[in-house]
Amino acid sequence: MRTRLIAGASALALAATLSACSSGNAEAGGTTTIDVWLMRDSVSEEFQAEFEKSFEAEHPDIDAKIQIQEWDGIGEKVVAALASNDPPDVIEIGNSQMSQYAASGGLLDVSDKVDDLGGEDWIAGLADPAVWDGKTYGVPYYAANRVVIYNTALFDAAGIDAESIDTRAKWIDATSTLNSGDVQGIYLPGQSWHALAGFIWDEGGAFATQDDGSWMGALDTPEAMAGMEFYSQLQALGHGPKDSDVASPPQTDIMAGGDVAQIISSPGAAGSVVAANPELEGKLGFFPIPGKTADKPGAVYVGGSELAIPAASDSSDAAYEFVKALTGEKWQRELASTMGYVPNKASLADAVADDPGAAAMTVGGTENGHSTPIAPGWAAVEAQNIIHDYMTAVLTGGDLAGEAQKASDEITRAMNQSD
Amino acid sequence: MTIVQKRTPVRAAVKPPGSTPTMTGSSPRRARLPRTRRNLWPYALIAPAVVGTAFLLVYPLVRAFVISLQDYKLAELINGNAEFVGLENYRTLFSDGRFWEVVARTFLFMACNVVLIMILSTLVAMMITRLKKFGRTMVLSSLVLAWAMPVIAAATVFQWMFNSEFGVVNWMLTSFGFEQFDRFPWFAHGAAAFVILILLVVWQSVPFAAITLYSALTTVPVELHESARLDGAGAWRLFRSVTFPIIRPIFMLVVCLEVIWTFKAFVQIWVITQGGPGDATTLLPVYAVQRALSSQQYDLGAAASIVTVLILSGVLVLYFRQMFRQEVQQ
Repeated sequence: MRTRLIAGASALALAATLSACSSGNAEAGGTTTIDVWLMRDSVSEEFQAEFEKSFEAEHPDIDAKIQIQEWDGIGEKVVAALASNDPPDVIEIGNSQMSQYAASGGLLDVSDKVDDLGGEDWIAGLADPAVWDGKTYGVPYYAANRVVIYNTALFDAAGIDAESIDTRAKWIDATSTLNSGDVQGIYLPGQSWHALAGFIWDEGGAFATQDDGSWMGALDTPEAMAGMEFYSQLQALGHGPKDSDVASPPQTDIMAGGDVAQIISSPGAAGSVVAANPELEGKLGFFPIPGKTADKPGAVYVGGSELAIPAASDSSDAAYEFVKALTGEKWQRELASTMGYVPNKASLADAVADDPGAAAMTVGGTENGHSTPIAPGWAAVEAQNIIHDYMTAVLTGGDLAGEAQKASDEITRAMNQSD
Repeated sequence: MTIVQKRTPVRAAVKPPGSTPTMTGSSPRRARLPRTRRNLWPYALIAPAVVGTAFLLVYPLVRAFVISLQDYKLAELINGNAEFVGLENYRTLFSDGRFWEVVARTFLFMACNVVLIMILSTLVAMMITRLKKFGRTMVLSSLVLAWAMPVIAAATVFQWMFNSEFGVVNWMLTSFGFEQFDRFPWFAHGAAAFVILILLVVWQSVPFAAITLYSALTTVPVELHESARLDGAGAWRLFRSVTFPIIRPIFMLVVCLEVIWTFKAFVQIWVITQGGPGDATTLLPVYAVQRALSSQQYDLGAAASIVTVLILSGVLVLYFRQMFRQEVQQ
């Protein structure tokens, strides 16, 4: 305790004298300060406080400073941080954006630590994007994927048992029954491309395939087009705008109106629905997105985050201790049960068994989880809204084959641009 | 970056240069100052502006030019050590068919905007001269209010107005009996999105042009109009032979400025369509940002920006010529 006090005091003194230099990596008297960027909603305030306290008690020589970053515009922020001489020591990175950073040379190679972290058990949708050229640059942190959130009152009124919906055919039947009068069977905006991704994978298709090292758009394959056809069929069973995504307007606000029977979203969205309309408290249920047959849930896009250490960090050992603690079993269980996320290892799936939303999510995520193409060029496809435009074009009466061909060409161009 | 923000300094340029107090004028007070101090003062006063301009404009411009000559991707941004590749990036750019489509589209966008802005603002300006005090105050206040609206706020409002499901435009058209506009997705159609962006930019640009032209119109002597009318000139003839020649210098200045401003329109497009659907609203600035920030090709983005700067410099030369000619005339 005494040494810690002295260390703290000298660190403070040093910080005071060096306050003009905003570097957080002051090493004084054995205390290392590390700056950590976590994303909005990745941890709650209570979780953060609890973790920080416990971590610093176990590692008295490390002072972890956690900053919460917003998702909006994070790409440019991370690029700028990696390019600077004084980056944060740990950064949380979304898994679909991971690949370009892994390839950039800006992150620390942690391949030799994978065994120490129990990496053989990591869920694939998180582990794969962090690997570039056979080396691992990020540690899986948590995952989340889409489920169907439904309004139990509307389901009861229509006499439908959500438990029984275990195939696409039954799902379409139930949604058609619900979709009458003022009630929308499902509110599915035209550009919810993460939902489309699942339908395409169910058919055995993909957004893009790799051939001889270069990527080719694959929306024009019969499988991918069948996925889009199913999307159109489902989308028509409600009034989702054909030209917008889930965020504008927020689909949770629409569901809060009370006339929407279902939305496709991660379970956390139920909280936003209830926040917008407290009357729906306790009236929202969850089920995994149904697959083509009852023996397998629908394929889902596994979204999530990795923790990475910038190569330029001057406290990478302390940073590694932080990453190891937060991605270890104890705090993963805690994170899964308090935040409702899928933990980073399949063996920890039981941590969320009690939470109905997280349980529905874990079924899809662990049994049929997928990720977007693992390539630095994928970020450009997302940034240029290629799939958004394709979906709207098809839904508003465009020729499916022609639009699919066009979008595939654009994906090919965008993905091979950044080589 | 935004069209509206850059407009303020221009008012000074429109003012007759003769009315600007000059530092070199010989006033008795200044003559009493010691010679060296008198000579240094102007430089000292202008230094902050020069330093600011150099830091915010010249340095980024030079840096962009250097990057456009290098192989500069994400890895080079993070690790440094970019290699010089000469004009390779420009070669890549010029051999890309998409780039030329974007250039042509940018010119089309600029031409449509400038023509509409100039016609509308001239009409509005002439209308204001005919109004009585109350009407004039109302119109001028509305113009200033529209002008004062932040670009992003206006763009967001337009986006909502044309929303397919909840937009007021579709609601209005449908209630007038145009059933085909029920849930019509405006931003899913390239041409429609292009036209909506033109509407927005014109709406945002007319106030400045109209107010400037109105102030030019107030300098046209009433007697000229009266005598021309006595000679039997009609309205069009009056405009063409009397009014326009007098406001022509200001008119041409406004044209030059609008060319520059609409050519580099970015914020509105980025907020509403981000260049989509497809490439339908991808103009040069949007293209440069897409290349640099979404494809991490900072080198090609920089090259596209430099090309934009070169094109606009051409317009700037015309602008300066016009400005100097105007000074000579006065």
